[in-house]
Amino acid sequence: MATIPGNDPLIRAIPAAAGERVTARSQARQRLAFIIMLFPVLALVILVRLIDLAVVQGIPKSSGPTISAAPPRGDILDRNGVELARTFEAYAITVMPRRLTSDPEVLATRLATILPERTREEILADLTSGKSFRYLARRVLPGQARRINELGEPAIELAREAERLYPNYALAAQALGYTDDKGHGLIGVEKAFDADLADPVKRATPLMLSLDVRVQQAMSHELAALVADQNAKGAAGVVMDVNSGEVLAMVSLPDFNPNVPGKRADGTVYTTANDDGSRFNRVTLGGYELGSTFKAFTIATALETGVLTNLQKQYDATRPLEVAGFRIRDDHAKNRWLTVPEIFIYSSNIGTARMALEVGRERQREYLDKLGFLKPAEFELKEKTKPQFPPLSNWGQLATMTISYGHGLTVSPLHLANGYATLVNGGFYRPPTILKRDAAAVPAGTRVFSEKTSAEMRRLLRLVVTNGTGRKADVPGYRVGGKTGTAEKIEGGRYVRGQNVVNFAAVFPVDAPRYVVVAMIDDPRGSKATYGFRTAGMVVAPAIHRIIERIAPPLGVLPDYNRDVNLAGLLPGGADVKE
Amino acid sequence: MGLAARRLDKRSYPAGAGAAFSRGDRSRFGRWFWTIDKTLLLLILALIAAGITAVAAASPAAARRLSGGNFRMDDLYFLYRQLMWVALGLPVMLGTSMLSIRNLKRLAVVGTLICLLSLILVPFIGGGANGAARWIQLPGFQFQPSEFFKPCFIIATAWLLSLKLEDGSLPTMQISAAVLAMALICLIAQPDVGQSALISVVWLSQATLAGLSLTIIGALAVTGVIGLVAAYFTLDHFAARIDKFITGSGDTFQIDKALDCFRAGGLMGTGPGEGRMKFRLPEAQTDYIFSVLGEEFGLIACALLAGLFLALVVRALLLAMEEDDPFIFLATSGLAIQFGLQATINMMVNLALLPSKGMTLPFISHGGSSFLAISLGAGMLLALTRCNPFLKGRPWAKGALAA
Repeated sequence: MATIPGNDPLIRAIPAAAGERVTARSQARQRLAFIIMLFPVLALVILVRLIDLAVVQGIPKSSGPTISAAPPRGDILDRNGVELARTFEAYAITVMPRRLTSDPEVLATRLATILPERTREEILADLTSGKSFRYLARRVLPGQARRINELGEPAIELAREAERLYPNYALAAQALGYTDDKGHGLIGVEKAFDADLADPVKRATPLMLSLDVRVQQAMSHELAALVADQNAKGAAGVVMDVNSGEVLAMVSLPDFNPNVPGKRADGTVYTTANDDGSRFNRVTLGGYELGSTFKAFTIATALETGVLTNLQKQYDATRPLEVAGFRIRDDHAKNRWLTVPEIFIYSSNIGTARMALEVGRERQREYLDKLGFLKPAEFELKEKTKPQFPPLSNWGQLATMTISYGHGLTVSPLHLANGYATLVNGGFYRPPTILKRDAAAVPAGTRVFSEKTSAEMRRLLRLVVTNGTGRKADVPGYRVGGKTGTAEKIEGGRYVRGQNVVNFAAVFPVDAPRYVVVAMIDDPRGSKATYGFRTAGMVVAPAIHRIIERIAPPLGVLPDYNRDVNLAGLLPGGADVKE
Repeated sequence: MGLAARRLDKRSYPAGAGAAFSRGDRSRFGRWFWTIDKTLLLLILALIAAGITAVAAASPAAARRLSGGNFRMDDLYFLYRQLMWVALGLPVMLGTSMLSIRNLKRLAVVGTLICLLSLILVPFIGGGANGAARWIQLPGFQFQPSEFFKPCFIIATAWLLSLKLEDGSLPTMQISAAVLAMALICLIAQPDVGQSALISVVWLSQATLAGLSLTIIGALAVTGVIGLVAAYFTLDHFAARIDKFITGSGDTFQIDKALDCFRAGGLMGTGPGEGRMKFRLPEAQTDYIFSVLGEEFGLIACALLAGLFLALVVRALLLAMEEDDPFIFLATSGLAIQFGLQATINMMVNLALLPSKGMTLPFISHGGSSFLAISLGAGMLLALTRCNPFLKGRPWAKGALAA
């Protein structure tokens, strides 16, 4: 039965003889023993690798690579500790389209149901872009991120990224500003204090602003209602503590949601064509001729420089004033000689201009400079307008006269508010601030006006509200003082006929001033509520009334119906004014 | 006497000698029960139980990944499917394990021919995934011929090679090499390099045990390496996977997800249902199920599972070692090596020790073809080890008898 081996080169001798079969069997067993020993070795390799991964390497650092584009950043609080901006860990959803393992059509549909802010088509375009990396969404909430994770598409990565949240949406948007996707502040406080907010040590302490969300909200709401009612282009508003220079509210309308800074309120993306200026901070960056509100500074300068020794001094306002081919008129022309209080409450341009001539160019400039009107506001935000005014060579008689009633000089509403604070707080100029100032940290300030001048100005301001153009601003018990202002709007260096900037600077309580409220409306169109009038007294004064009514209680200003400034002797004739 | 009683020898027992379930029970089941290798059976059942647990853990990950925009797959869809496959697979295994050696050979030869035919037909009527046509759609079932081909071919090879041992003049090794070559051509055409390599290595092991000379083994190994290199340069699908593995820096990202699972699992695992990384796995329910276990049950469970496979393979190979019958020797060794290699390759792919192969973890991975084919193989293994003529094979038993 035995065959001769060797007829098959492939097979070594496979003998069939009994003895040889035993040899073949033992050889087979030897080989099998070798194979058996291989398996424990392989198992050992697997075990070592398991220990390497599970014990030595341990838990992966995170669910995905962290995109540390936006580093942690300090919180921003209002003066009472309310959160204005904070940083939280959101998710960035990224995809590597080239590495997709599932059907993009199906995946896009499922992602679209999780990410409502993106359409299926947009997502599909990203998925099929063939790029190596794409952001599907940023600032994704943990719940959405979890659902996306559960889709199990390995080409989709969830990256933690620090995200800036502005819980009050558009409230004080321009003042707060926002950051870019790298976490750098672009405007507002975010830009001005970028270094501090990003500083690894300093960011642990929240940045406490002087803003008060209650005041901010009241002013924002009233101005927004007014803009809607007047079909106006916009509005600006400031509330400032007259004694510390702290800004409690800073409103600029239209505003935007800093949580989605690249988009307008209606969701469309900003382009140069459709930019509604909502990111523009009118309070600090807007330069306006503020009109009659400026007359207060002219009178105060006249008092301070001794031009006026008696408020009953009279100025000729019988006819328009002709200077260098230019005619100065009064809106509420009385065509008679007017005392200083009459000039103020009737808002006489002629009287004010004559007074400024007596003060003179040098002293006018000196006091405007002391009030900070000839330079950008001394303020932390970077968005500040540079006041526009004629050079000294061109600052002649005409300029002196027009500037005395607020024309020919553009400043920001913040300048105006701070000027009024200086006017009524006893005469001290202090740089305004967006940061909370402890009583000890309030700078002493530089004296611009004497206490006596300041007291006289308080009486005059009160008189405008009790007897003049600002009557609608009065709030019983709160002793509101203030002054209206109306100026033609300047666009591109030219006056725009028929478009006004109307404003009101108010102080309360005027006998012991605590707060200045400045409101400005850009191009009001008149409404039923104002009987079609577009003047400051009709448009802004009622808003000032409502604002003070709302902000005085939370600010701790108590109404007192038995106190008021002594107005005796200001208007011997018992003059009255109607618009 | 106990050892002798394990012999399947009809003559030892007069008809009706034993009561039901006693050792004298000569019913079909009774004979089966008293002759089956219970250690192997328990190991296999333990693996199947572990597989159900693993599929339960992997099912939500796979279901959510595969759910479409318009339909939602139940989280436990794959668990229910796996339970169904187990319900189908267990009878297949137990039924196969009751076959006689003669019927086993018949089944293997017929199965090999059917599978070979199917493999040839796959490119024309087959469906596929990930750039490969691998299966034929049957009602409710994707029939993957390569999976069933493996156990049948191993048995058929063992039979052919054992004939050679009986009569060296028979060209059976050439015949089986020819069948292997045909199968390889079909598999590489699919392409399924992983299965090709596995089947080749198992065949080579069997041939080695059957006495193939070491120089020829070496030559064949070189040929295999050349074949792999050729596959690398001709098959994009294969080349991409190898590139991934070797460069590491390339598209390593699916395997990175698997590694993250083991890292997240640590020693004890996150606990059942607590796994998060698993949702990012590709093919969580099949190729990467070991990673799911790694995350939810931890290193210890993974090591135990590897230990179960090791025990199964070593137990089967030791039984083969005691075997005198060349066919049973070669068949048992072949099946055990197949299980062991397939499990090793799968686990190593999960651990990034080998490039991605598209191979399932025996008994554990979800899947119709793979589970039924594994059940068939396990049944064959049980049938082969069941008929062991212990007294001849066991050196120490011999000694006992001699005494």
